[in-house]
Amino acid sequence: MTEYIDVDVRPILRAGGEPFSVIMAALARLEAGQGLRLYVPFKPVPLFAVMADRGFAHSEQALDAGEWEVLFTPTGAKPTASAPGKAAFDAWPEPSVRLDNRDLDPPEPMVRILGAAEKLAPGATLSALLRREPVFLFPQLEKRGYRWLGGFSPDGATYELTVRAPS
Amino acid sequence: MSYFAAALAWLFVALALMVAGLGYPVAHLASPDTLVVVHVVCIGWLSIAMCGALFQFVPVLVAKPLFAEQWALPALGLLTAGLVALLAGFLGLGGRLPAWLWLLPLGAVLLVAGFGLVVVDLGLTAWLRPAGPVRFVLAGLASLCATVAFGAIFALAHAGWGGSIGEKLLASGVPLHAIAGLGGWLTLTAMGVSYRLLSMFMLSPDVDDRKSNMTLVAGALAIAVAVAGGVFAIWLTAGLNVVLPVTGAFGLAAIALYGRDVIEIFGTRQRRQLELNTRMAVLSFASLAGAALLGLALILTGDFVDHLGAFAFLAIFGWLSGLVLAQLYKIVAFLTWLETYGPVMGRVPTPRVQDLVSETRASKWFVIYHVAVWFGTVTLLAGHPSAFRAAAAMMVVGLVGIAREVIRIRRLADVARPLRFPDGACAPHLLCARN
Repeated sequence: MTEYIDVDVRPILRAGGEPFSVIMAALARLEAGQGLRLYVPFKPVPLFAVMADRGFAHSEQALDAGEWEVLFTPTGAKPTASAPGKAAFDAWPEPSVRLDNRDLDPPEPMVRILGAAEKLAPGATLSALLRREPVFLFPQLEKRGYRWLGGFSPDGATYELTVRAPS
Repeated sequence: MSYFAAALAWLFVALALMVAGLGYPVAHLASPDTLVVVHVVCIGWLSIAMCGALFQFVPVLVAKPLFAEQWALPALGLLTAGLVALLAGFLGLGGRLPAWLWLLPLGAVLLVAGFGLVVVDLGLTAWLRPAGPVRFVLAGLASLCATVAFGAIFALAHAGWGGSIGEKLLASGVPLHAIAGLGGWLTLTAMGVSYRLLSMFMLSPDVDDRKSNMTLVAGALAIAVAVAGGVFAIWLTAGLNVVLPVTGAFGLAAIALYGRDVIEIFGTRQRRQLELNTRMAVLSFASLAGAALLGLALILTGDFVDHLGAFAFLAIFGWLSGLVLAQLYKIVAFLTWLETYGPVMGRVPTPRVQDLVSETRASKWFVIYHVAVWFGTVTLLAGHPSAFRAAAAMMVVGLVGIAREVIRIRRLADVARPLRFPDGACAPHLLCARN
């Protein structure tokens, strides 16, 4: 049974602070086999990739008022050598647009994401839920200078994509 | 797009030859004329179309660009030149051209080089993420290597350069060449690609890897038994009487498992309304099932060797060609849409992929084609060569219609005028895609 250390970053975010360093500090204090239980006011999609690179699987549960409880469980996998550093992801703001494209016929999800992405303010992000990895979308995002992070939810049914406009 | 255009051109050549009465059933199954038709279909049409589709599809599956984008065009050149040399060599064997038998090994060398580029390029790309349908592609590429190796040895043997081993293989190894090519390279690859395309277009969850693995293992075992066991049996001069039934049993198992997976994809789909490529693919699945049943029935009645031509015709034109044509129609529409409107998408209103096609008009050509194939199979079984030529002519009619639809897609002819070229979009070239 994995033991979880609680980290609640909701007060930090409400105060306009930056929680990434707090999370990383808590991570550094974990004993072998321990996991992290994170309370956040939004789903921290960019963090999932960072944690996966450090050898943690995530599972999340919606709480009331749009808040989330996220469990990061050690998978036993070795952290990848090129784990993206703090600079790469800590400045990603909360998505200003959320799209649920799960029930749209292809390639409609791609059209909607590109349309919404065009309207983003510089540096802003959007999040989208999809049924599959949007492989044809990536080259189009790349050509337009967008960055993105994405991955399947643990049950493999939903692909969560976060897109960030060039700042 | 150049691959698809070249492939369609070769299919027209093959059908024209069949209408003209060249090769089987007018001539014997193993006659040089039949070899011409078979190789025009299998290399010119099916293999080139499959290579073109894989060059588009494998990078998408592994989310990485091709290992060497710039190899695609030289590979097409080598394959075309190799096929022409090979065909000229066959015509020489049949006495229709001077007997320059060195053309056969020359063709083999060019084809080995062309397919070699394709295999290395796709293999190294696919190896990056060998999961899901890509495993089928890798098994297909391995079978392609076996097929080409057999073919090259046969070509040397025909030219008298094969030595005693070459003669021995040529005498009894032709079924192995056909099984590796039709079963391994073309069928396994088509199955793999269809898993992903079907679930993508019907919004179904992907088939569990464990299930598709079983299909793949059964199919790969069939090919491995045929190739390794077959060569061993020929080496022992034991004949193929043990190898072929085992191969057939594994092959039938693979088709049955594949059928189960396809039914699951259809059953769990979110999208009720099916697009043309999926509806028409159903006709080719029917042909695959029909070919499996026909093969089984012929084996049980002991008539398999007599009706091998009908069996192969149904498998090649009903199953493989039917599936390739249906998916080609969709792939061309999607790629054309992406090429034309991708750069401006989200900035200006763009047409949908569906606006590039006219499914009701296109589906009648597909139906004509499939009915013609089934009619042709019956005429072969009944032994009516003249009726068979009528069936081939009807296939040409269907195919002309399909080709016209594909050209209309490339020309955006069905897109409403005000939407056709929004600012920043530029017209796709008929034969060369930019992406």
